[in-house]
This record gives sequence, C-alpha cells and structure tokens, in this order.
Amino acid sequence: MIARRSLEWFGAAACPPHLETPLRLTAIALLLRPMGPWFVRPAVLAAAAVVLISPRALRTPAMWAAMAALVGVRIADNWPLADNHIYLLAYWTLAIALALGASDLPRHLATMSRGLIGFAFACAVLWKAVLSPDFLDGRFFRVTLLTDPRFTEAAMLIGGLSEADLAANRRALAPLPDGAALADPPAVIEPPRLRVLAVVSTWGIVLLEAAVATLMLAPARLSPVPLRHILLIGFCLVTYAFAPVAGFGWLLLVMGAAQTGEGDVWLRRAYVAAFLVVLFYSEVPWAGILLDLGS
Amino acid sequence: MRTVVVPPVLLLVVAVCQIGLAKAAGLTAWKGGGFGMFSTLDHGAYRGIDVVIEAADRSEAQHIPPSLEEMAARAAAYPSDWLLRRLAEGIVARERRYDRAVAVVKLTVWRTEFDHQTLAATERTLRAFVYRVPNQH
Repeated sequence: MIARRSLEWFGAAACPPHLETPLRLTAIALLLRPMGPWFVRPAVLAAAAVVLISPRALRTPAMWAAMAALVGVRIADNWPLADNHIYLLAYWTLAIALALGASDLPRHLATMSRGLIGFAFACAVLWKAVLSPDFLDGRFFRVTLLTDPRFTEAAMLIGGLSEADLAANRRALAPLPDGAALADPPAVIEPPRLRVLAVVSTWGIVLLEAAVATLMLAPARLSPVPLRHILLIGFCLVTYAFAPVAGFGWLLLVMGAAQTGEGDVWLRRAYVAAFLVVLFYSEVPWAGILLDLGS
Repeated sequence: MRTVVVPPVLLLVVAVCQIGLAKAAGLTAWKGGGFGMFSTLDHGAYRGIDVVIEAADRSEAQHIPPSLEEMAARAAAYPSDWLLRRLAEGIVARERRYDRAVAVVKLTVWRTEFDHQTLAATERTLRAFVYRVPNQH
C-alpha cells in the first residue's frame, strides 16, 4: 500500500485542463524571477522549464514536491533574508504537490489556495494594525514616500514632490546619533497631496487586505465568490502598480486562478490578464514615462 | 483531506515563530515569513552595523566590506549571537588575510526611528556585541 502510494507521487495525476493554467503560470513566475544560490537556481529553473514543456511532468506530484523542497533550501540558505513571497511560493508548490496526489484535486487546490492567501493577508493585517508601532499613524508611508527610491516616481507623480524636494527631504531625514539634536533642524517638505496619498495608502491597504483575508477564510456560504475574486484581482492591480514585488503579485493571481471552476472561463482569463498587467508594471517604467510626458 | 491543512498550518507555524522572534529577539518584521513587509520602517534600509576593530596597537572603525555584506545584512535583520559571531569571525578572517592584527571586534547594530510628528530621525542601538578573538596573547 505504501509502495503504491509512493509510486503515485512519480506518476502523472488526472488534472482537469482548467487547472493546468494556474500550474503553468506558477512555473512561468518561477522562470521570470530566478532565485537562490547556484546549487538551487539551475534546478528550480530546470524543473519549471520541464513542467512547462511536458504535460506529464506538469501533473506529477514529485516534480512540485521537489520544487517546494528547493525553495525551502533557498529560504534556509541565507535565512532570514528571503522575502515573504518566497515562503508563500514554498507553501504553494507544496500545496500543488499534495493536491495532485489527492483524490479531489480541484477542491483540494482551491481550499489550500484560500487558506494560504487568507492567512498570509491576516498576518499582514496583524502586523500593520496591531504589532507595528509606526504604520497606522502614517509614519510608514510618509517616510517611505519621501526617502525610498523605489517610490520616488509615485511621490512625484501623485504626491507633487519635485526632485529638489526629494533630495532636501533625504538630507533632512538623515539620522542623528541617539540623544543628539540639531539646533535648527531642516524642515521636511510634505505637500498636502503627499499627506493625502500617505493616509489613503495606509488605510486603503489595511482595509483591502482585511477584506481579502475575511473573504478567503470565511466559510464558502458566507463568502460571495465574485466579490472574493474582484477584491483579489483589484488588490494586485492597485498594489503592484507601485510595490516593487511583482513575484508576490503573480503568486497571488496564480493562487486566485486555482480557485476558479471549470466554467469560469472569463474569470480565468481575467487572472491571466492581471498576471500580464503585473508583468508590464514590473518591466515598463510607466510612472517615469508619465512624469516625462508631464514635464 | 488531512493534507489540505498542511500548507496553511505550516504558514501559521512559521508566522507565529516569526512574530515571537521579532518581538523577543529583534528580527525585523519584514523578514522571516510572518508577512510583516511594508508594515514598519524597521527594515534593512533603516538598520545597520557599526564595526570597530581593536588590537594592541590599533582601534579603528571599519565599513562592512563587500564580501561580508550578505552576512552583515543577515545579522542586521536578526541580531542574534550566532549571526553576529559569524560576522565577527568573517571580519577577523579578512583582517588576517591582510596581515592586520585583531584582538577584539565590537559590533553595534542600530536602527533609525522617526518622530511621529516631525519625522526627525534618530539612531537607536538594538544590540552591542563584543567578539574576543580566541588564542590572542
């Protein structure tokens, strides 16, 4: 019995065609963002390429289990530096392996997808609303928009800052040694539009993440399916226009697509389209282009 | 059906451990699998490590060399004894490669805090660690 179960892990499972899309998109996400040290990266890339090329490998639990193990090695290799979506990727590839080895693949995959997204978002809300001392009071986005180079274009485009303002703010926000104070500290330039952007970003992201977590974790009868998908796709389209972690966005969209039924053709197409939009966000400096056009 | 709970439970176990390490041992909320990214300014960009190397005839501050940047980033993200010791050992090995005497390596991990009204930035020490090189006479 054990031997037969073990062999099943190396054979191709019966996978409905509509669920091959999220599996293939997972492999594409792995190829788009190569990760890990030399002893992990080529193996992950090779496994992702093989499951894209071979329909049999795509449906083989052992392939996905191996990818989960490799991602786990990548996390352990330089712990704690791996980003959170790498952890989510490990859980997701493990979930695919377990679902392919289960009797009711669609239900297993959808249930694990909802659990993973729901708990990840619940943890994110817990950190922002309860555990962090500097998020809800607006400091996180105020300082990030003023100093983080990854958000420079958003701060200029939406917040109304000029390059000179940003340079002055970075000087003004340079840290002083503990206990030291300047007699005449330079003022931080925060146009009203930037303060509004910080407040909207702070509360918008908490409320949106809380809504997604609630809908993912609520019992199916209390969680309207269309609303769940609209919120998840909307979250990804808004957040990853600015947040520089396309890999996280792709993973969430892939996991959302795994919750679609056989008849949800247009919904699945919406997930694929959103996956491509996040790809364009990450590869096209759209905010910089808009800034150039404006000037 | 039992397998359905494995990945979500794994996520929760790791997240609970991460929250414990962040609150009790200085792990940054952004790292460790607890999904605290973009929730606080206490992350790699606002953390750093000052290095002072001492020997019989020297006491000098040093920048983190490129070869030790990843180890320093790990120690800054989680300023634990084992990561700080490994960083100090790396610094000692590098000094010896350049034939420079080293008896003590002092590491100070700091983070930047911002005033909630004015945003004025100050450095606050998270952890001070002293590594005495073994077999130094």
